[in-house]
Amino acid sequence: MYILTLLAQKLLLHLIVLTAYIILDSSKEDSRKLSCLLIKMAPENMSISVNGQSQVPPGFRFHPTEEELLQYYLKKKVSNQRIDLDVIREVDLNKLEPWDIQEKCKIGTTPQNDWYFFSHKDKKYPTGTRTNRATAAGFWKATGRDKVICSNCRRIGMRKTLVFYKGRAPHGQKSDWIMHEYRLDDNNTSNCNITNVPTVVGDAAQEEGWVVCRIFKKKNLHKILSSPILSTTTSITTETRSGQSLFDSCPEGALEQILQYMGRTCKEEENEAYINNNSTRFNLQPINTGISNTSNHNGFHEKFLKLPTLDSPNSTSSQDCYQPNIHEGIMVTENNNNPVSPFTDHHQNMDYHAHHMDSGITNWAALDRLVASQLNGQTETSRQLACFNITDPYDNDDHDDELQLPSTLRGPLSSSNTYHATHDYNNREIDLWNFYRQSSPLSSSDTLCHVSNGPI
Amino acid sequence: MGDNQFKLPPGFRFDPTDEELVVHFLQRKATLLPFHPDVIPDLHLYPYDPWELNGKALSEGKQWYFYSRKAQNRVTSNGYWKTLGIEEPIFSSSSSNSTSKVGMKRYLTFYVGEAPNSGIKTNWIMHEYRLSSSASDCASSSTTTTTTTRSSKRRGQPKTEYSGYILCRVYERDEEEDDDDDGTELSCLDEVFLSLDDLDEISLPN
Repeated sequence: MYILTLLAQKLLLHLIVLTAYIILDSSKEDSRKLSCLLIKMAPENMSISVNGQSQVPPGFRFHPTEEELLQYYLKKKVSNQRIDLDVIREVDLNKLEPWDIQEKCKIGTTPQNDWYFFSHKDKKYPTGTRTNRATAAGFWKATGRDKVICSNCRRIGMRKTLVFYKGRAPHGQKSDWIMHEYRLDDNNTSNCNITNVPTVVGDAAQEEGWVVCRIFKKKNLHKILSSPILSTTTSITTETRSGQSLFDSCPEGALEQILQYMGRTCKEEENEAYINNNSTRFNLQPINTGISNTSNHNGFHEKFLKLPTLDSPNSTSSQDCYQPNIHEGIMVTENNNNPVSPFTDHHQNMDYHAHHMDSGITNWAALDRLVASQLNGQTETSRQLACFNITDPYDNDDHDDELQLPSTLRGPLSSSNTYHATHDYNNREIDLWNFYRQSSPLSSSDTLCHVSNGPI
Repeated sequence: MGDNQFKLPPGFRFDPTDEELVVHFLQRKATLLPFHPDVIPDLHLYPYDPWELNGKALSEGKQWYFYSRKAQNRVTSNGYWKTLGIEEPIFSSSSSNSTSKVGMKRYLTFYVGEAPNSGIKTNWIMHEYRLSSSASDCASSSTTTTTTTRSSKRRGQPKTEYSGYILCRVYERDEEEDDDDDGTELSCLDEVFLSLDDLDEISLPN
């Protein structure tokens, strides 16, 4: 009996303890839940933990300016300062494909058009200065020339543009993935601390060290062509063919393509330093945008420039007619203020800078046809002015082989016309030539005299 | 305005999608639900001229955002807003029933002068977002599903009072908008170089 009651008591006790535990437990859980809720309710204000449960407030997106990227983020990264929020992640460019980066560098859950990351550049070869940007599926190839990034009129860094190619180097297939790679300028630290002791950052930063990158997918060409801004300014054929097929079809089609690009309001970048990261390319520099509403810009592919030396009597005689006038200011103001005169005729001002006779086409007929097609297309609609500046990236190459055809003119010319051509010498100084042409009515058959007289 | 309560690291900008504006900012405002960030001020009683909005409306870059109410004609002290006659439905992709229309977007131009016809057209543009009538019902019902009965009681009132909310985005159209290269897209020179890259591989006709 006694034992039984004892057992019963024990059981009761156990029960009580157990229930107590359970109650305690559940209440704990409740309170935990509550605190969870509280945390969630707490203003998401700045709980932007990007990786993991990111909470960027709705409507806000990461659209840093180039200045912010360089001055805030990259500067902090380089100097090992803590960046409050882990917005920009580190990425090993060699290990991730662009579409993986897209996944890894998400900020929040909102859809993004561009992605940002830090990358540490390493050299391709221990002795060289080239950067290795190959991934498993392809490689990043630099294009164009680097752009100077300025802040308050002071140079702070550079931007390199790269394109992702699938496959291996010579046979890569171009993709729509574009990368802008920003690096800090070493000079700027010494510039702003001229009086102070210059901080030693090291020259190697050029090809080694941290960069901040943005990747994005190139917008479709269709959109660009059909944009309302373009349609108001275009005077060339506006075929809305897709870019790729255009490029594949024929070089003249591609040329049109370039013309269209140039027809858009190109920003002058003449103040930029010429940095040719890719030495296999010419630089095209549009000089005049002031009268872009009535003018087209013409670009020529480098291969058209690889022409044989030409002892055309015209080229020498025409040079006599031109008087160089090295006043950049005059040229610019004239162009901007006088949209009508003296550019009312159909002008083409081409500045050829030919070299490397061993490669490329050796056929003047091709150029002939090209120029003719260009000129015919322009007869009614527009007044043409194309000032082109074709830079030779090779510094000390054969100067002797230089060929200069300053202008190709068309149409009846009024008595005095001013022509401007720019020529970029190999010393990389911009010389602006103000060609002044005395009355020399040229019939349209003379238009192509420079070229048609050449050996065919 | 409102965004000083609220500090984001450099580089974050208010750049909402149409859907976000309607679903997050307008629906929640209209149904009196708390939402964050409450950065857009209500300028219903202040018919500012568009150039007066700076410092009063939420500004981001060259765009200004504010709430107002539906009105037949929007007259300000120096002019009036005139509709362009274009309306665009706003769809929500995230809602349960795949894509549903949640609101409408209307385009207006600002005219300086006397309404309705003697004004001079300006470059000021307004995007006016409003909840589509069915959407406001949908919105309140979908948000109330979790808390069922309580809020359904509340539903009657806000509908009459607050469904008149509209959200406005105002900006001045820039003729040379495309001009500035802020690095978010390819500059047109870059495009040229890109196309030149392509040409490298193409042989020329003889």
